[in-house]
Amino acid sequence: MSNVLLETKKVVKRFGGLVAVNKMDVVIEQGSICSIIGPNGAGKTTFFNTLTGIYKPEEGEIVFDGHHTIGLRPDQITDLHIARTFQNIRLFGSMTVLENIMVGMHTRLKQSGVDALLRTRKFREEEKKAFAKATELMEYVGLHGVGDELARNLPYGGQRRIEVARALASQPKLLLLDEPTAGMNPNETEDAIRLFRRVRDDLGITILLIEHDMRVVMGISERITVMDYGEKIAEGLPAEIRANKRVIEAYLGRGAATEIIA
Amino acid sequence: MIAKLKTTLGSLGEWINRGKVPYILSITGLVLSTVWVYFSPRSLPAFLFFLAMAGMIYYFKIKPVAKLILGLVVALIVVPIIGARNIFYLEVLFQIGVFAALALGLNIVVGFTGLLNLGYVAFYAVGAYLWAFFGSKQIFLLHEIPGTAPQGTPFLLPGDMFYLFIMLGIIVAAVTGLLLGLPVLRVRGDYLAIVTLGFGEVIRQLANNLDKPLNFTNGPQGITPIQKPTLPGGVMDAFNVILTPIVGQPVTEGQFYNILFYFIALLVAALVIFVTLRLDDSKIGRAWTAIREDEMAAVAMGIPAVKLKLAAFAVGASFAGAMGVVMAASRTFVSPESFTFMQSIGVLTMVILGGIGSIPGVVLGAAVVVVLNLQVLQEVSLYLSQLRQSDSVIPIINFAWKNLSNQLDPAKYQRLLFGLILILMMIYRPAGLIPAARRKRELKAAAVPDADNGTQEAADE
Amino acid sequence: MRRIYESTVLRELLRPLGQIAIFVTATGAIFSVAMLLLALLFRGSAADRLLQENNHINIFAFTLTNLPQVLVDGVTLGFVYAAIALGYTMVYGVLEFINFAHSEIFAIGAFVGVEVLIALEGAGQLSSIPIWLAYVFLALAVIAGMAAAGGMAMLVEATAYRPLRNAPRLVPLISAIGVSFFLQDAIRFTESITTGQFHRIIPTFGNFDQRVSLVKLPLAGVVTDINIQIKSIVVIAAAVLMLVGLNYLVNATKVGKAIRAVAQDRPTASLMGINVNLIISLTFLVGGALGGAAGVLYALKFTRIDPFVGFFPGIKAFTAAVLGGIGNLTGALLGGIVLGMLESFAGAYLSAFTMGAAGAEYKDILAFAILILVLIFRPSGLLGEQVGQKA
Repeated sequence: MSNVLLETKKVVKRFGGLVAVNKMDVVIEQGSICSIIGPNGAGKTTFFNTLTGIYKPEEGEIVFDGHHTIGLRPDQITDLHIARTFQNIRLFGSMTVLENIMVGMHTRLKQSGVDALLRTRKFREEEKKAFAKATELMEYVGLHGVGDELARNLPYGGQRRIEVARALASQPKLLLLDEPTAGMNPNETEDAIRLFRRVRDDLGITILLIEHDMRVVMGISERITVMDYGEKIAEGLPAEIRANKRVIEAYLGRGAATEIIA
Repeated sequence: MIAKLKTTLGSLGEWINRGKVPYILSITGLVLSTVWVYFSPRSLPAFLFFLAMAGMIYYFKIKPVAKLILGLVVALIVVPIIGARNIFYLEVLFQIGVFAALALGLNIVVGFTGLLNLGYVAFYAVGAYLWAFFGSKQIFLLHEIPGTAPQGTPFLLPGDMFYLFIMLGIIVAAVTGLLLGLPVLRVRGDYLAIVTLGFGEVIRQLANNLDKPLNFTNGPQGITPIQKPTLPGGVMDAFNVILTPIVGQPVTEGQFYNILFYFIALLVAALVIFVTLRLDDSKIGRAWTAIREDEMAAVAMGIPAVKLKLAAFAVGASFAGAMGVVMAASRTFVSPESFTFMQSIGVLTMVILGGIGSIPGVVLGAAVVVVLNLQVLQEVSLYLSQLRQSDSVIPIINFAWKNLSNQLDPAKYQRLLFGLILILMMIYRPAGLIPAARRKRELKAAAVPDADNGTQEAADE
Repeated sequence: MRRIYESTVLRELLRPLGQIAIFVTATGAIFSVAMLLLALLFRGSAADRLLQENNHINIFAFTLTNLPQVLVDGVTLGFVYAAIALGYTMVYGVLEFINFAHSEIFAIGAFVGVEVLIALEGAGQLSSIPIWLAYVFLALAVIAGMAAAGGMAMLVEATAYRPLRNAPRLVPLISAIGVSFFLQDAIRFTESITTGQFHRIIPTFGNFDQRVSLVKLPLAGVVTDINIQIKSIVVIAAAVLMLVGLNYLVNATKVGKAIRAVAQDRPTASLMGINVNLIISLTFLVGGALGGAAGVLYALKFTRIDPFVGFFPGIKAFTAAVLGGIGNLTGALLGGIVLGMLESFAGAYLSAFTMGAAGAEYKDILAFAILILVLIFRPSGLLGEQVGQKA
């Protein structure tokens, strides 16, 4: 078990009386592609937000790459090499595509305000490298010649890709993708799946994704965690999940499981 | 109809900027306008034409070196000559410089980072009162009632210290910005606007009321006299040796101070533009814009939002602090009246009018508002007061100009002007006269001939 | 008995009256006790000695004898602030937008009301009239002020805010600041063009300036006559009437239900067949009318008005709204009363307690300090609920 990248122990997040995330235990191994699935309102995105520091859990422990992350600010967590995308795309609309990607490098750039004012050699070289890297990442996610376009002028699929490129720019060890193929047509979805595989295979980045689309989940995940009402109700290989009675009930209601299995 | 007009103007714009045409146009324009102003030094249209021509240097597609040379010639040679003929023009240009720097400072906070600061003028006040206190006799008057300075009280510091205090103004204002920012930056957008408004008013009221128990600010009467910077020996004489043959008479010391302050304002404003440009094109500037666009996404990308917002507050404040010191020295007088909420809104109006987040836009906005304020409104006021003194009557309604109230003086209606500009810009052109353009980086894009595309697109949004 | 309580109409009329009574008594009591304790603490201090030297009264007696008047002033001011605060809070509740121009809507109400009275005076209608007629004229002025202010608020919404409803948050706010400035000078212009003066003074008429003696109390050995100006009573009564009326409108009528629905969820309200634009207009009309009435009452109380008269009351009323919990009508009432008390207490005692180093002129700073502190530490206000950040 030395290659565990992320482990959460009994993480609880409450909003007033509502328990949005209840005692979540998740173990993500280095280099794997895992998914969290579950019906709407199951607490998946809230769980993501506790991982990235947007919410502070009331109880539990989160250990990422040897660091306890609870209580750290989101930017500090990003600095530890966790990156994410958002369910509803959140690009910096009136910045260009390349600028968006360069914002992702913020924690990795070492320039200071003084460097920027004096245009030191360090600054110029770093900016040049950052620019080259951003261009490379843009092309890596499959976009060409749109570097100077404003992000909001790109079509939907392109915006999703930039979000991935922007996240990759922060050199993550763990990439959290929140419904990355929502709203895509089957072709685009295929491309996206291929991209995620490449990210893991070429760059060795561990991926944890939330997804509704079962084709994506089953096609890409090595392990699946199922959430319902804030709790983990099942965990296992795709085939195991497919046959799990509780999972089917959670999705389709009680009684449905027997019908489907029958 | 409007579209047709746009294309006509567009092709005209293209023709103007092709080949040698812009060189010929800019040089002839500048020479003509200079000659016009020189021979009719009191003509408003002449001066406006001159300003427009000077501004056009920025737009003409000529070599950067040529732009720089033209700009320097205008700023360093032509303006002082014109100014020596009519000192009022220097006042206008001085104020444009001061307000351009202020507006650029506010632009960092409002335009880049998206934080609406309605108490910005407080930082300006901090700089002004800094020099007003240390560069005057006030420290010896702490136990005096306002307005009762004994004869022969000495100044605390010599005028040389003014130059040091510009630096100190930057530091003290930046620290004030940090101190304000630390508690308030947690507050959400529209609340932040009101909190900063409150902060601005608190500073003004403190300036108004800190004449007791110890008389720090001299209360509503304000502090005067304040030291002017000491002139390096012989500079004025040298200046007169060059200028007298051109203008026809030597400048007095008072006039020379106007020229000097114009140069100081120009220098500080240039520095401010330089700093703004360089910060904007760095990871700091990108982070500011990212926070403006979507704070949560920015934070998730690893940007420490609070730290960067504080930086924006401090940098913005420091510009105002420096100009506060300059203003206090040039007026030799500082009072709470100069730091009202209306002043803050005036600076905001410049930013909004010119183009939020756009450096050339903000400078243009400052120029337009200052010229409107100082010249156009004043000019109309002057015209009206002449009418008031005449016997003329509006024919049909039979209204004698004599009966026109003093209160209807257009110069007194700045609020109307600012208000109208803000409303109309928000509704019809929220990006401003010169919308901010994103920097083009991609190598391929550089090969595309029409580099103005970005501006055009942003304008159409 | 039970049936009476179950009737919505009565409940919605009685509940705010109860709240008003509780808020006024509680705030007054807390402030009084705190002030008296502070006075005890200051006994023997330099401030005490100075007071004995100059006014031959010790600091505790000074505090106690002034207290009734300070309380009355505080309540009067508090109701004025509450009435203005309702306008901010209603609009914020529905649109999540700070109507920065509300302070000028208030000023327009004040000017129209005062102009009506000036016109009546000019026509010789205000001198030696029976008391009841004076009240009728005042009511007329208030109604005129309400109509003008309400109408102007609707006009402003339709022209300067509605086109920006879906723009980023700061855009309509900047437009509202523009409207505020524009209206200040527009008022100035209209008033100047007729008379050459831009300030107005409310005519003296009726018995509003007289004082009624409430009770004579032996306080600290001195028999103190506690009295109140009739105009203060009028201001309080009118404000209470408006607060109760508004509460009834919002909580017990169909229109009120529609307003609450739009505030909750605009798209859904629209799907339910509510004309959202109409309801928003109506919100501005009602909020503006209340502000206008507050303006006339303010003019009655403080006699002199100018085009910039709205700025400070506006900021303070906004502070009151935030203090109480913006979007919450009861909160605006509570915030107004607290702020009115605070200002009245500061105005009366600050100078004596600091030996003249800081006097009534710091009451504005105090209001801003409260605003800043509340926004930083409890942005949801005294009565608001803490809401989690949305992801």
